[in-house]
Amino acid sequence: MKKIILNKAKVSKNEYFFIDNDSEIKKSSKIIFFIKFWIENKKTLKKKKHIGVILDSNQSIDLIKDDIELFSLIQFNFITFKDGRPFTEIKKLRKYWKFNGEIRASGHILPDQYVFLNRCGVDSFEIEEGKEKFWIDFFKMDEGLYYQP
Amino acid sequence: MAKKLKGELFYLSANDLKTGEVVYYSNKSWSKNLKEARVIRREEIEEFERIAELNEKKCKIISPIFVELSDDGKIKKLRDIIRYKGITF
Amino acid sequence: MYKYSEKDKQIVKNRTKEFSLQVKRRIDGYLTEEEFKPLRLMNGLYLQLHAYMLRVAIPYGELSHQQLHKLAEISEKYDKNYGHFTTRQNIQFNWPKLEDVPKILEELANVEMHAIQTSGNCIRNISCDHFAGINKQEVEDPRPWCEIIRKWSTFHPEFSFLPRKFKIAVIASENDRAAMKVHDIGLRLIKKEGETGFEVYVGGGQGRSPFIAKKIKGFLKKKHLLNYLEAILSVYNELGRRDNIYKARIKILINELGEKKLKDLVDERFKKFFEKKLTLGVTELEEIKKSFQLPFDKNIRSEVPKIKNKDFKIWRDQNVLNHKYDGHSIVMVSLKQYGKPPGDASALQMKSLSEIAKKYSYGEIRVTHEQNLVLPHVLNSNLYSVWTDLKKIKLATANIGLITDTICCPGMDYCALATARSIPISQKISQHFKNQLLQKKIGKIKIKISGCINACGHHHVGNIGILGLDKNGEESYQISLGGSADEKTNIGQIVGPSFTEDKLISAIETIIKTYEDNRLNLEDDFISVFNRVGIDKFKQDLYEKNNS
Repeated sequence: MKKIILNKAKVSKNEYFFIDNDSEIKKSSKIIFFIKFWIENKKTLKKKKHIGVILDSNQSIDLIKDDIELFSLIQFNFITFKDGRPFTEIKKLRKYWKFNGEIRASGHILPDQYVFLNRCGVDSFEIEEGKEKFWIDFFKMDEGLYYQP
Repeated sequence: MAKKLKGELFYLSANDLKTGEVVYYSNKSWSKNLKEARVIRREEIEEFERIAELNEKKCKIISPIFVELSDDGKIKKLRDIIRYKGITF
Repeated sequence: MYKYSEKDKQIVKNRTKEFSLQVKRRIDGYLTEEEFKPLRLMNGLYLQLHAYMLRVAIPYGELSHQQLHKLAEISEKYDKNYGHFTTRQNIQFNWPKLEDVPKILEELANVEMHAIQTSGNCIRNISCDHFAGINKQEVEDPRPWCEIIRKWSTFHPEFSFLPRKFKIAVIASENDRAAMKVHDIGLRLIKKEGETGFEVYVGGGQGRSPFIAKKIKGFLKKKHLLNYLEAILSVYNELGRRDNIYKARIKILINELGEKKLKDLVDERFKKFFEKKLTLGVTELEEIKKSFQLPFDKNIRSEVPKIKNKDFKIWRDQNVLNHKYDGHSIVMVSLKQYGKPPGDASALQMKSLSEIAKKYSYGEIRVTHEQNLVLPHVLNSNLYSVWTDLKKIKLATANIGLITDTICCPGMDYCALATARSIPISQKISQHFKNQLLQKKIGKIKIKISGCINACGHHHVGNIGILGLDKNGEESYQISLGGSADEKTNIGQIVGPSFTEDKLISAIETIIKTYEDNRLNLEDDFISVFNRVGIDKFKQDLYEKNNS
C-alpha cells in the first residue's frame, strides 16, 4: 500500500529514501534506515547531511543516544498502536536530549492518536494514502484544550 | 477460536456489534433465538470459523465463540447457559 | 462540590463528539474491533457476556443530586432500570447498546459527567476517602488533590497507552477508607514539622499476584506532586512489561527492579524532566479549594430528635457516624439490602435518594469503595426524617460494616472474564446472616467475593475472602482469611481446598464459630482474633468438621 507523509493537514511525498543496503547510500541526498543498518555502517553514513533512523516501538532510544545530533529525522515505528513506549521516548528526546530535528511516527498508528503524538513532539506521520481524511478530522478537532502544559 | 474445544456438537454464538445482544448463527444469518441456532459438527468447525471471521469483518458481530453441546444437544457450560438464559438470580 | 469550568465542559463535549465518530467508524468498518477496543475501553465501554457495559466515572466518589437523578434517568431510558456501584466508586450500566452510547454520553455531559478513562490502559478515575472533608482526623481535605490529579491525568499525551491500567488513590488521615495500599500509587497527606506533604506508595494491587504498595517517598512537597507523578509514570511507561498482560502492572516492575532501583529511577527522572509549569502555585490551589467548601455554617448546632423507635436506634447505631462538625451527621446508605446484588440501585431508589440528598444533605452524595452510598452532611434534627424516607425505598438496611455488608464483583452472571458466579454467593450470605442481633453480635467483619482471579471483588483483602473458581466445569469457592484493606492492609492467606457452592455457607459458619469461640470480649473483632489465633486453628476447625 502506498504511503504518504502528513504534516498537520499537509500531505507530501516521503523525501527520505529508505535503504537497507550500503550500495544505495548515494541514491538520494536524504536517506533513512533501520537502526541495525546504522550501527553496522555508522562510518559511511555519518558523512551524509540528511539522514533519518527508524526505531521500532520496542527499541530503546538509548541505542542512539550518543549520535542524536547526527540525525535530521528520527522515526518511531509502532509495532502496534497499543505500544505506548515511544510517547516517553519522544519526550526524552525533546526534553532531555534537546533534539531539534524532525520526529516522525509510522507503523500501526491511529488517527485517534494524532493529538497525543503531536503534543509529545511528533512532527510528521507516515500513513496509508487515502486515510488522510481521518487524520485531518482529528487535526481539525484539536482545539488546543488540554489540562497539561 | 476452536482451541481446546471438547465434544462433537456446537453452536456458533457471538454478540451483535450494534446492540451487544447474544446471537446464534442459524442458516446464513444470526438469530437471538436459540431454537434457530444451527448445530455444528466438529468437522465443520473450520468452515464456521471462516464464517465467523467474515461476519466480524462485515461488522455484524463481535466476540464469536463456539458453544459446546452434549450428545443430546444441550448446552454444557454454565457460562454458556447464563449467556442464553440470562442472569441467575 | 467541584463545578466544571468552561474548559472542562468543552473538553467533555469534544470527547463525546470524538467518541460518536469512533462508534460510527467502527460500525462503518473503518476501525477493526482490535483497534476499537482500546478506544472504547478508554471511554468505559466493555463487552460483557450478554451485552455492552458502560462504566461512568464518579470522580473521587462525589455526586450531586442532579447527577444521581440523571444516572437514574439513563438507566430507565437506555438500560434496565438499575445501575451498579463499583469498588472504584464508579457506576456501571449493564445493558446499553453501542449505538446509544454517544447519546448517553451527551446526556451525561449535560450534568458534568463522563466515562473518560474508566477503563483501558491509562490512568483511571482517582479514588478517595469517602469521608473527605467531613472527618476530624484528616490533615486536610484530599479532594482538591484528587481534582488536580484528575485534570492532569485526563488525556495525558504521554500516558494514554500504558502497559496496563493505572489506579491512584488519595487519603489524608491515619485511617484508610480507600484501600490506598492496593493501588498502583497511593498518596497520603501527612503533616511534618508544620508542613503538609505526601507520603507516596507505589506498586500495590490485587489480581492474580496481590501486592501491598511500598513507600518510596516519606515526604513529598505538595507543589511537586505532579512532577513526581510524571516521573513515576514515565519510568513505568518505559520499563513496565508489555510481553505478558499478567506481569504488566507497576507492582511487577517494582518487584523485578527492587524498591531501591525504582525509587532511584523515579528520583533521577524527577530531576531530569522537571517541568516548572507542573509546579502547583498557591493561587491555583486556593482556587480549586474553593470548590470544596463546606455547604453550611460549621457553627450550626442541632440535636437528634428524641424518638423512641427501636429500628431507628438500630439504624442510627449502625449507619450514622459523627461528622467533623457536631451539628451534622454522616449517613451511610447501605446498598446491601438482604438478598439483593451488592452495589445495585434501582432507578427509583436513585431518584428518591437524589430527592433526599437535595432536601437533607445539601444535594451531595458520595460513593464508597465498599459499594455503599453516603449522605455526607445530614443535620442531626433531620436524621429521623431521613431514616423514614430511606426506609420507604429500602435503603435503610442497618448493616454497615457487618457480615452482610459484602463487597462483590458482578461475577459470571455478567462478566466475560469470570470463572464462577459471585452475586448468588453474597445473596446466600446475606440471607443466612440477616438476623440483626446475630450479625451485630458477630460484629465488625468484611467478607469480599470475587468471581475470578482478577479480584474485582477484593477477596485478597477481605477478612474472609471468597474466590470463585472453575473446577472441571463446576463452580468452586476458595476461602482466604486475614486480609484487610484499611491502614493495616494485609493480603489474606488461603485456608485450604475450595468448597462447592452448597458447602460454602456451612464453611463460613464454621469460620465464624472458631472466631466466636476465641473471642475475648465483644470488642474483639474478627481480624484481631484471627491475628492472635492464627490460620491453623481456623484450618483445623474447618477441615476436621467437614471431614467428620
